[in-house]
Amino acid sequence: MAEKKLRQIAIYGKGGIGKSTTTQNTVAGLAALGNKVMIIGCDPKADSTRLILHAKAQATVMDKVRELGTVEDLELEDVLKWGYGDVKCVESGGPEPGVGCAGRGVITAINFLEEEGAYTPDLDFVFYDVLGDVVCGGFAMPIRENKAQEIYIVVSGEMMAMYAANNICKGIVKYASSGSVRLGGLICNSRNTDREADLIEALAKRLGTQMIHFVPRDNQVQRAELRRMTVIEYSPEHKQAEEYRQLAQKIADNKMFVVPTPLEMEELEELLMEFGIMEAEDETVVGLAENA
Amino acid sequence: MSAEAAVKIVTETPLEEIERVKDWINTEEYKEKNFAREALVVNPAHACQPLGAQMVATAFEGCLPFVHGSQGCASYFRSTFSRHFREPAAATCDAMTEDGAVFGGQNNLFEGLENAYALYKPKMLAIYTTCMPEVIGDDLTAFIKNARLKGHVPEDLPIPYANTPSFNGTHIHGYDAMLKSILETLTAGQKIDGKCTGKLNLIPGFDGNTANIREYKRILELFGIPHTVLADISDVFDSPCDGHYRLYPGGTKLEDAAESINGKVTLALQKYSTVNTMKWIEDEYSGEKVVMPMPFGIQKTDEFLMKLAELFGKPVPEELKAERGRAVDAMTDAHQYLHGKKFAVAGDPDYLLGIVSFLLEMGAIPYHVLCSRSTKKFEKEMKALLASSPFGATGKVYINKDLWHLRSLLMTDPVDGIIGDTHAKWAARDANIPLFRIGFPIIDRVNLHRSPVIGYQGAVNMLTMIANKFLDIKDETCENQWFEMMR
Amino acid sequence: MYQGDDRHERAPIPGITKERTEKLIAETLAEMPEKARNKRAPHLGANEPTATCCAVKSNRKVVPGVMSQRGCAYAGAKGVVWGPIRDMVHISHGPIGCGVYSWGTRRNLMQGIPGVTSFPMDFTSDFQEKDIVYGGDKKLEKLLNEANELFPLAKGFSVLSECPVGLIGDDINAVAKKMEEQLEKLVVPCNCEGFRGVSQSLGHHISNDSIRDHIIGKFEFPDPVGPYDVALIGDYNIGGDVWAAKPILEEIGLNVKSVWTGDGEVEKIGATHQVKLNLIHCYRSMNYMCKVMEEKWGIPWLEYNFFGPTKIAESLRAIAGRFDESIQEKAEAVIAKYQPMMQAVLDEYKPRLNGKTAMLFVGGLRPRHTIGAYEDLGIQITGAGYEFAHQDDYDRTSPEMANGTLIYDDVSEFELEKFVEELKPDLVGSGIKEKYVFQKAGIPFRQMHSWDYSGPYHGYEGFKIFARDIDMAINSPTWKLVKSPF
Repeated sequence: MAEKKLRQIAIYGKGGIGKSTTTQNTVAGLAALGNKVMIIGCDPKADSTRLILHAKAQATVMDKVRELGTVEDLELEDVLKWGYGDVKCVESGGPEPGVGCAGRGVITAINFLEEEGAYTPDLDFVFYDVLGDVVCGGFAMPIRENKAQEIYIVVSGEMMAMYAANNICKGIVKYASSGSVRLGGLICNSRNTDREADLIEALAKRLGTQMIHFVPRDNQVQRAELRRMTVIEYSPEHKQAEEYRQLAQKIADNKMFVVPTPLEMEELEELLMEFGIMEAEDETVVGLAENA
Repeated sequence: MSAEAAVKIVTETPLEEIERVKDWINTEEYKEKNFAREALVVNPAHACQPLGAQMVATAFEGCLPFVHGSQGCASYFRSTFSRHFREPAAATCDAMTEDGAVFGGQNNLFEGLENAYALYKPKMLAIYTTCMPEVIGDDLTAFIKNARLKGHVPEDLPIPYANTPSFNGTHIHGYDAMLKSILETLTAGQKIDGKCTGKLNLIPGFDGNTANIREYKRILELFGIPHTVLADISDVFDSPCDGHYRLYPGGTKLEDAAESINGKVTLALQKYSTVNTMKWIEDEYSGEKVVMPMPFGIQKTDEFLMKLAELFGKPVPEELKAERGRAVDAMTDAHQYLHGKKFAVAGDPDYLLGIVSFLLEMGAIPYHVLCSRSTKKFEKEMKALLASSPFGATGKVYINKDLWHLRSLLMTDPVDGIIGDTHAKWAARDANIPLFRIGFPIIDRVNLHRSPVIGYQGAVNMLTMIANKFLDIKDETCENQWFEMMR
Repeated sequence: MYQGDDRHERAPIPGITKERTEKLIAETLAEMPEKARNKRAPHLGANEPTATCCAVKSNRKVVPGVMSQRGCAYAGAKGVVWGPIRDMVHISHGPIGCGVYSWGTRRNLMQGIPGVTSFPMDFTSDFQEKDIVYGGDKKLEKLLNEANELFPLAKGFSVLSECPVGLIGDDINAVAKKMEEQLEKLVVPCNCEGFRGVSQSLGHHISNDSIRDHIIGKFEFPDPVGPYDVALIGDYNIGGDVWAAKPILEEIGLNVKSVWTGDGEVEKIGATHQVKLNLIHCYRSMNYMCKVMEEKWGIPWLEYNFFGPTKIAESLRAIAGRFDESIQEKAEAVIAKYQPMMQAVLDEYKPRLNGKTAMLFVGGLRPRHTIGAYEDLGIQITGAGYEFAHQDDYDRTSPEMANGTLIYDDVSEFELEKFVEELKPDLVGSGIKEKYVFQKAGIPFRQMHSWDYSGPYHGYEGFKIFARDIDMAINSPTWKLVKSPF
């Protein structure tokens, strides 16, 4: 019997860009297409599974570890929940900002899931929804060897989102040199900025990748979220649901996996200027106060 | 804060206050407060993961244990083994410092591997981690791959590695993780369908007693069963003094370990220190897989021998049958000195199961059974073992309790003897109860690791040590009219 | 500052020449990869006793992979400075290992009732994954409350942080401050994470700083300050050293008001700023504190050496020289009183030891400080080096060694083995990790960190034991059995 190949996918992107919403809608799309999926939230905020589970907050691995005292006494069923479309959901969890080591929480959680056999052979996809930026080794855990081989970066036409995307690409290059992790593409989660699709297409090209899908902005997403649901589940007939299904299908069919070519800061700024997001710097005014 | 403002006069604690507290810490009231502790650990009886990883790494021939992380940790591990075995304990380290904490330890690892390989010419480098790289999230898989790509170590040098965070589990888990990685590395590509070496793979687990390993090998030789011990510390930590220092004095041969995947049987004699290794072996190895308790005492040794007989279709050798008879003879001869005696036992889970089983068959009472870090699964198994004998009826199991808890137990509910490692000597002294040193580490008595505690011979050794000590105490403490020639 | 009066150069040791030593170093280095060779070369040298400073470099990072014998900052803080203070609870804050490995393994003996008035125990927060992820500050607070309740006579608490504490950004200083107010007892934070610095040495320094900031000057002695009040700095009571040293100082008329930190009491340490003179034995680990007390309170300090009768006599005279004639007379009387006892020791052991050689590798003081004791017994030192010494230590060592002898800093197992193989000393004095390497090779060995489970070695009483132990090591008949007749 030919074993089916598990695809492990990590979603990165600037904080607040809509990673968790995009991930869950995409996962719901894949599930709707008949795939077996697991989501592992790798963000102490623990909001990577709420739309799938219709829950405010899932009990996280670290919450339970804290309660029990040690990892050894934790059981898989304490932290693994099933949601829409039989999607398996786990949140790593972690501390409030400013204390402890959230990165280690990700390592602890993934080690636990591997040891306890959460990666069952029936799975088609595992998605890691990772906190904003790769700030330390812990947040790179999902893209280590034998974990996620593909990364998608959620981005929009805003300047900081693109900076972040470029930085994440730098991180990928480091890991790609020794491992098999590759960039699968940029997901544009539209903020309705000017020429957004063109800009992200251009950025993708410079990075050596593709814009795998342009997700238009639509309030239907918020309406679904109010009910703690994905659009796919809330209104499968809605056009926004179709967008996510398309994204899901594109990811399922994707064959373009690259080691990205991150831009130097000047190149990135050039690109932004080309699209009018950033103005050319006037060196004569640098450091001058308003009333000077 | 001004220093002048806060000046206090040097005080002496009043004697009556000292007397009060001295008595108070022995009371039931204190015990309750002591057992209510949630954050503070006092006098634990367990160590950290990398220590166990180092033990198993040392046990392979030509393998240099390599610590990825802080230099101080490596020195602590080496010192601990040298104190216990009174033997050299080579291990090197890539000595990460503050810059490594910020930028990651890859450069240290590169340089460390290159130097360790050049200076110590190992056949294998086994890497395990300290807290530091674990917290910052160093990716060993990638680092080692890069080290090979950049030529810091030869392509074909086996470099197993294990993540061994000290803030998770104990030394037995580090043993497990490292053993698994070593076997994964050495057996890669070695499995041949249909091939069987006919050999037994014997996994002793974390054991600080070299004579136990020699005893296993002697038993297997008496049976005529070809075997590979995974992993064999006996020659490494009990090497001859003959005028030559050997950096690699012995251990399991790498080719034997590689071949072990095609073995006839893989038998683990410790359950808790081999969980992940055996889980992996179950899927990957040919032949039968068996996990048994350590052969402490007569019945567990019987089970071990009968299992060997069954697995290899060979009768239990006459010599061992006679040995059993002699051991049972020793036990019946001496039963009166142990029967009904209460014991406190502290140690690692597998050792505890063995010692308790031996005590039960002597008619002794395992009364306080304490493991300073373990799981509910172990607690359940220990309770079941106690429940299997009337002598276990009064026994209580304490997990995640330390030797300061044990002290309270000894003071409020005393026993006749304590079995544990050297660390228990403080509680034993306070309670004026003899300590029988079985376990790891033993750093205040000589040569105990050269005397087996498993098998029939081990039963005789334990019995002799315990019974004679009780008799010594009687002779040393009895009043004149009770002092007599015979005992 | 202490200047030994025998500044005369040592007589050459037969067979030891600068050329031979340099050749040995070159041959040893030749077997290393280039980068390691370049890093290690400045740390090895042939001694030039008359040079103004020792050319051997020190206090640099360990070269990765070479099997150094060094420990870490935590070891320097917990094991060396804090651990010996007997009436405090010392908390190893972090995962389980550090506290367990350093529990009772330095032999800093202490008086008192364990668990009541003294605490030769292992106190730890035994960090689990959850403590790393969520931080350990709250646990520390709770732990301090529990410790205070269960050990009410403890005079205070030291919080010694292990690697993860610094990495996850816990703020033990804030917790300590809060709890000090709440418990109305000393709670001293010591940020001695093992990854800081290059050896134990930084741990000594960090601990000294925390004593400076939290303890010294915070207490005063109840009785009036006297002209003969001194403090004993840098004696850790290994195998009872303090108990052999302190009586001698008292015999010459001095009042030893506090001991840093062997068998030490924290409040007395905190009142040390009242003494007239600080006497420092282990310069490496505590010179910072002497300098602080000198700057802030104008207390002079004097290095001294209580190993072997020659150095004891020199030291007693130097110490007495800082006081009036009554003390000087008593010092002479004490030297004279013990002279026959010392002569008896030499009469017994020197005939068996004269002309032997030894190589030493210890922490930061003893390789130079014990030379006199070996020489009293007729033993010459052909090689010496330190785990964690600095330049000033090597500068103090060079004049005590003969020309051309071998000096090695942070020597690796690989190097020391080669050196010993070539120089063939009759004794190696070093640590537990080195001990069995050399004993397997049939070379007599004494642990010089822990006095090999013996001691004391300080003072007149200590020298008797030292001489016996060295004789026992070198002349044990067991060494004759090493080579089998077949």
